[in-house]
Amino acid sequence: MKAAVVGAGKMGLVHASILNTLPNVELVAFCDKSAIIRRFLAAIVGETRVFAEVERLVDLDADIIYVTTPIPSHYSVVKEIYSWRKPVSIFVEKTLASNYDDSLKLCDLARDSKRANMVGYMKRFAVTFEKARELLNQDAIGQVCSFRAHAYSSDFFGLKEALKMSSNRGGVLSDLGSHVIDLALRFFGNFEVQSSGEASVTGIQNAVSFKVRTDNQIEGTFDVSWCKEGYHVPEFGFSIQGSKGKIKVDDDVVEFETSSEGSFRWHKHDLSDNVGFLLGAPEYYREDDYFVKSILNGIGGEINFSNASKVDYIIGKVVGGTSVS
Amino acid sequence: MSIGAKKLLLVGDNPFHGISHLSQERVRDRGNGITTASCAAGLVATSVKSGANGFMFSVSDTTLSVLRMLKSPKSRPLDLYALVPYAYEYVRLATHAGGLSGLFKQFAGQIAFSGNFKAAALGLKGILTTDLQELIKAYLAYEISRIKSSAKKNGILRSVLLHEIITDMSLALNIDWLFRSHVEFISEFGIIPGFETRNFSYLVKKFKEWDIDFSKILIATPFNKVGFQMNPSKAECEKALTEISDSNIVAMSILAAGYLKVSEAVEYMDCLPSIKGVVVGISNEKHATETFSFLRNRVLNKSCL
Repeated sequence: MKAAVVGAGKMGLVHASILNTLPNVELVAFCDKSAIIRRFLAAIVGETRVFAEVERLVDLDADIIYVTTPIPSHYSVVKEIYSWRKPVSIFVEKTLASNYDDSLKLCDLARDSKRANMVGYMKRFAVTFEKARELLNQDAIGQVCSFRAHAYSSDFFGLKEALKMSSNRGGVLSDLGSHVIDLALRFFGNFEVQSSGEASVTGIQNAVSFKVRTDNQIEGTFDVSWCKEGYHVPEFGFSIQGSKGKIKVDDDVVEFETSSEGSFRWHKHDLSDNVGFLLGAPEYYREDDYFVKSILNGIGGEINFSNASKVDYIIGKVVGGTSVS
Repeated sequence: MSIGAKKLLLVGDNPFHGISHLSQERVRDRGNGITTASCAAGLVATSVKSGANGFMFSVSDTTLSVLRMLKSPKSRPLDLYALVPYAYEYVRLATHAGGLSGLFKQFAGQIAFSGNFKAAALGLKGILTTDLQELIKAYLAYEISRIKSSAKKNGILRSVLLHEIITDMSLALNIDWLFRSHVEFISEFGIIPGFETRNFSYLVKKFKEWDIDFSKILIATPFNKVGFQMNPSKAECEKALTEISDSNIVAMSILAAGYLKVSEAVEYMDCLPSIKGVVVGISNEKHATETFSFLRNRVLNKSCL
């Protein structure tokens, strides 16, 4: 399969590299708006083509296109690719779009294309979160009553210019929060926002908390910040309370405790965390491998545009419900 | 510079950057103290007293400050093994600079005004000719000068290793010239070229294909009893190790980020052929003393490795 990557930033390079190690995949093109990046990419990647405009990919007959540009451009880039009416499968780095309306339009285009599509919610492929889901599916803690989710980083901790600098990443909810929103949808099903807390001025949030209630009446709380001290590496996690016990899970560890069975702890070391090629985090390899295999096997992936649009719906509800100016 | 027969027992710097591959909660429990240069320098000194014979570090403001605080042992300066670039720091800077192109502009300015003539000249040549190879050389020259001017006579730069992100990305994208260029350029300084990787068996396969001489380079890669970060599998990495007899491998993550006891780690290392040395990150004085005393007895004085 021929693959192209639009947007040669950090995530574009990670996905391109991993794709190039997968059997059956050949990286044929990069596309990036920056002249500096294009110049150096051309020196690095040899036979792989490098373009400035996404339109230039049309004649390459790529089977897969990865869209890893900044979130605000996802809609226009993906719409452009679908307008070619070519048999191409599309992977978009999270979030699908910068608002729910655009997400829905992309879902319609994806449905018409009849090709595979996926959004990069890589935390679904973390072994600890997968273990937590397995425990939940086994009703290991009985009926879930409530959960608390967090997503923290120190990316903008202590920076006076945080708001201005963070605008490139589309706000903390899209950047960090979207992962835990996606995981919560996977763990507990659909939910609605009940109330939301602080959001900053200018529409680009730095720290947000909000409450939700699922269709099954589970109460949930989210706390998201990229100005938190002590989170050199971003951390995502859940504390889940059930009728028979509780589960605490983050990127590194799963802890499970019930009154009848005692307590258990699994580090990622215990959960087969090795991958075919490790770059950045094992989850990136697993999600790319999953997408390629789902295309080869002709089956629709679980993290398709339709499911991913639910995250954009929640983000829209939270941002819309706060006093953002 | 010859790699020599000496076994390497290196103290690593991950804890000084607030990184734990076992649990980030553990990092927060430790507090910020360990990330201060004075505390980190104290831990390096304790490790050396207990048996470490070198320091492997990512080049950052913190570790350069540690180098400035190093007190040379009476016998000889400390051997230094530098990992460049410190990718996580550059990812953070790229975020603040508005992406990779913003980071590039910022960094080009730093090299130009660094006062290092060789780095600035190579950088200027690279920009004028848009030659990436020259720019990478400018960057490496800049980092080497920063290390040497920080360590002065208290440390000797033995090796410059490409950080895992660059090594592994270049492996994946088949950028063979980058590896050759690194080996050639770093060797010109009388320093051992090296590569850090978390895809050891993939690297061995590619380096054989590209005819890169294993005897002249240092490779830092995870080896531990539980296969932590040994990709694609523990068995494949062990097999790859047997395929390169004339190599210099520094085993990382031998404690699997604190998951294993040092005695368990050494027991496993005993079974591996041709390991040149180990690197272990330490988080407190007690850990430094116990770990390196144990390793010194087993690695330097006894059978292990």
